[in-house]
Amino acid sequence: MAREIDQRLIAAGRGARRGLSAAIALGFAAGIALIAQAFLLARIVTGIIFDHATLGDVRGDLLGLAALFVIRALLSFAAEIAAHRAAASVKLSLRRTLLDHLFALGPSYAADERSADLAATLLDGIEALEPYLARYLPQMALVALVPLAILAAILPFDWISALILVVCGPIIPLFMVFIGYRAEAINQRQWRQLLVMSAHFLDAVQGITTLKLFGRARDEIALIGRISDEYRRVTMAGLRVAFLTSAALEFFASLSIALVAVLFGARLIHGDISFFPAFFVLLLVPEFFMPLRGLATHYHARMSALAAARRIFDVLDTEPKVRWGTKVPQHGAISIVCKALSVEYAPGVPVLRGIDCAFPAGSLTAIVGRSGAGKSSLAAAILGFVAPAEGQILIGDGQSLDTLDREAWWHRLAYVPQTPRLFAGTIADNLRLARPGADTLAMRAALARAKLLDVIETLPAGLDTMIGEAGEGLSGGQIQRLALARAFLKDAPLLILDEATAHLDLETEAELVETIADLAQDRTAIIIAHRLATVRQVDRILVLDEGRIVESGSHAALLARHGVYAALIGTTEATCAI
Amino acid sequence: MRDLIRLIRLYTPYRLWIAGGIALGLATVLANFGLLALSGWFIATAGVVGLAGFAAQNAFNFFIPAAGVRFFAMIRVLARYTGRLVDHEATFRLLAGLRQSLYAKLEPLAPAGLAGDRGGDLLGRLVADVDRLGDFFLRVVSPFAVAALGSLVMALVFATMSPLAGIVLLAGLVTAGVGLPLISLALGDTPSRDAVALQTAMRADLVDSVQGMAELLTYNAAPAMVERVDRASAALMARQGRLATIAGIGAGGTLLLANLTMAAMLLIGGRLVFAGHLAGPDLALLALGAMAAFEAVAPLPAAFQTLGGMKDSARRIFEIIDRDVPVAEPATSPARPERLDLCLSGVRLRYPGQTGWALDGIDLAMAPGEHLVILGRSGAGKTSLVNLLLRFAAYQEGSVKLGGVELRTIRGDDLRSLFTLVSQRTQIFAGSLRDNLLIAHPAAADAALWRALEIAQLAEFVNAQPEGLDALVGEAGAKLSGGEARRLSLARAALRDTPFLILDEPTEALDPLTEAGFRAALARIAIGRTVITITHRLAGIGPADRVVVFEAGRIVEDGPFAALESAGGTITRLARLQNRMARL
Repeated sequence: MAREIDQRLIAAGRGARRGLSAAIALGFAAGIALIAQAFLLARIVTGIIFDHATLGDVRGDLLGLAALFVIRALLSFAAEIAAHRAAASVKLSLRRTLLDHLFALGPSYAADERSADLAATLLDGIEALEPYLARYLPQMALVALVPLAILAAILPFDWISALILVVCGPIIPLFMVFIGYRAEAINQRQWRQLLVMSAHFLDAVQGITTLKLFGRARDEIALIGRISDEYRRVTMAGLRVAFLTSAALEFFASLSIALVAVLFGARLIHGDISFFPAFFVLLLVPEFFMPLRGLATHYHARMSALAAARRIFDVLDTEPKVRWGTKVPQHGAISIVCKALSVEYAPGVPVLRGIDCAFPAGSLTAIVGRSGAGKSSLAAAILGFVAPAEGQILIGDGQSLDTLDREAWWHRLAYVPQTPRLFAGTIADNLRLARPGADTLAMRAALARAKLLDVIETLPAGLDTMIGEAGEGLSGGQIQRLALARAFLKDAPLLILDEATAHLDLETEAELVETIADLAQDRTAIIIAHRLATVRQVDRILVLDEGRIVESGSHAALLARHGVYAALIGTTEATCAI
Repeated sequence: MRDLIRLIRLYTPYRLWIAGGIALGLATVLANFGLLALSGWFIATAGVVGLAGFAAQNAFNFFIPAAGVRFFAMIRVLARYTGRLVDHEATFRLLAGLRQSLYAKLEPLAPAGLAGDRGGDLLGRLVADVDRLGDFFLRVVSPFAVAALGSLVMALVFATMSPLAGIVLLAGLVTAGVGLPLISLALGDTPSRDAVALQTAMRADLVDSVQGMAELLTYNAAPAMVERVDRASAALMARQGRLATIAGIGAGGTLLLANLTMAAMLLIGGRLVFAGHLAGPDLALLALGAMAAFEAVAPLPAAFQTLGGMKDSARRIFEIIDRDVPVAEPATSPARPERLDLCLSGVRLRYPGQTGWALDGIDLAMAPGEHLVILGRSGAGKTSLVNLLLRFAAYQEGSVKLGGVELRTIRGDDLRSLFTLVSQRTQIFAGSLRDNLLIAHPAAADAALWRALEIAQLAEFVNAQPEGLDALVGEAGAKLSGGEARRLSLARAALRDTPFLILDEPTEALDPLTEAGFRAALARIAIGRTVITITHRLAGIGPADRVVVFEAGRIVEDGPFAALESAGGTITRLARLQNRMARL
């Protein structure tokens, strides 16, 4: 599972495989340099202690040692760079691919409850791959390679020490697997508990006013202490097991050094062996365990990276359902016909059940119905955000929507969603979204028709005022009007508009209804309506209920029928400020 | 720096745990140093003895150094294991303590004192800051203490053999542990600042991409957005590349420094050995000891990096903790008055740090059981009136009397136990439906909960849940629809039998179709109570209802709706507008 993810990750970045191989090769070369360094060091120390050599006598070895120091520093530096480059190329290409794919999946996939998670995956999830790719993966290869090289260097000098390492070395990974699996399970449980505990604290802090209103805020202080204590007890019980992994590593590493030293000591006293090989081996024994230690430090990076990678590949493995063609829609006014149109988000759970309806060129149609009746799904199907499960949508003289080029189709329409989005940037940037080359004059004209120009002109920076998350706050009504200004600027033959349900103040609401009526003129307009004032002035109303069109006609005609529409309006009229 | 000292002072109750963690960390580092240094000395001595002949072999006590080697190995393992346990125990205790003391400080500030100038996520950030500070000991204090003490001890050990060796070791350790990390931080300052700024901008674009996807697609702006994110991503990689280079230089530099220090030991020791001032085996001790010593300073680069973020977190937390409490609390409350009529005269209210009056001379009287509608645009002072009544904000002038008792002489909690507030900002807590209901009335029996759910028209929904009252509502009520969450808060209100009920825009952002049912439920809860409804719309106002119109902190109209409708003021204008819209 993890291996498969590794392969996909590495394959995602151009040159990533080469970069990682280079990092491993450089790390291995550093390991060889380390062995050479130990060899020279042992020779120098042996010379000074046993052969009464002066520093001048060992000058050659000392210079060699200095050269090795520099080589090792350079290798370590180069390995770091190579690994980072590999990780960067993976991150760069994955982020682009993922964002591209999300746009292909469309807004019905990136729905509300997923949106925060998706944005986090695109940024933090992909960043979390770096330590895994740049550190854990190369280290993983070195864990096998460097100790083997060290073992090969030791074996000709002393088979007893080599045997100690051969026994102790593989036991550690075994032990890690044995404890590790349990520790990982414990870890995951703790992770969840930690989340629960953090969530509770966040909850308590964010709800501090609510708790205070109910006179419960002071009790909460004790509760936070109790929950934290409980968490600490459970977690510490788990950590006592989890930390055995590192204790095992430490145990075998220390034991090996002690065993090697004591056994050498015994043999040296009896003159069974000379000092040089003993010291050389002793220098290498701690290094034998070094890569394993490195692996343990990056273990957490691995867990979070794999979790992020799974989320990333989950998205990438989801196929876009909407089909598109290459045809360009005919010029001029747009008419739309839906034939036996059914839409379902999950198999067998239709939200639209065989809709037949027409939106003649230049007409103004309102879609009404309870929430969940399928209004938004009908709009989404016409926009091409969801694929029909059955039936089809015909544009103009019978061009099926799925034969059209998607950009060409969107080019012919303006869409205003219920909660329009302001994008980070200036007001002008937000307007030019609708028409990239629009000049100031055109933007001011659109703002004027949306009745927003007066407000913008009072701002010191005017059209260049920064808005969105980082900038100036606009009121709910102003956001609506800016979205309408965008639609005015685009001036497309088809308008699809989802009316805001948020209660604005009465003046704003009245103005918006007028502006929408203005915007709908001289084009085919489909409005998902929530206001009585809006539906009164449309050519025709489609009443949706449980995915079907149950009534259609003008406001007066529908009222006279005393059907679903009349019932709907009845409740609205009694309670709403419209 | 002052923030850090304050932070350390917060930790004093846990000083024993902290001292224990540091002592064990020190033991871990020193045991490793001892193990390698002694091993080197031991085999060198054994080698010398082995060459010196039989007599020397017999005279040499093999067992003491051999036992010493094993001793250090065991200490290393034990200290490492218990050290990590103590470190984490200390960290969890610290975190719990920090959270409790922070919450105790926040409680009197909420909500007026917490209104952030930097927007809504003040509290979320605060929680993240506290979590980060919980690691202050584990990631900053402990590594620095262990490195400092360990370095001194090891340098002293070397100094007993050669003072110069001790000084050189200390210099090497300080340079590797403090010098190099500080240089890296200085070099990395600009790129890491840039990287943070780039990430912030990219996050905004990505959130825009996901949440504004429909608009980006239909405006055919998606490819441009992908390009924009790609460019930001490449720029971020470039900065990270620079940081990786700096990190690489740091890592290479540390390695080089450790090796050079060891080479210096060879030079210093070698000269002394040749001159006969130092025993040969001590050279092996110096060389191996120097190699092991650098483990003590290895965590310091990361600690320096963490320290920077910690400083910011500490500053943010202290900035909030140090805020003035917005409302002074009396120690006790006078006895609860019998007749709870409310009388405001000449009340002026100003928030700390603001120049204008939020309430500017309010005169208002309410009899028990009276229903009142407060109408006004946002910023007119409606919410300030609520804050005033609930003692979330202090009034500076005039008097507010509840049953003849001045409001500021009543303890906040006692006062609030007379009020129930229904607003769209009511927090739903992660947990079960039952948990959320019991917050309003901890002792309520199930029958009472069901009755409240019935009134709030939520009983059917709860009945349909397989777990009933124990169904979980998700984080901040994420599993509930907007309407269900509002009904749940309504059920809470129904559970509290308080004389006053404040409805703050109770139907705001509700689907027009669910609004009717909601209003019916509200009407049931309102029976027999004094009710203040805050709104900016005419919806749901009956002709006989008393309406008070707020404008810029003052009352401009007060009277029955039917009378105000023809009085020629704000109400008249709004009513005309409403009629005009209905005729459109």
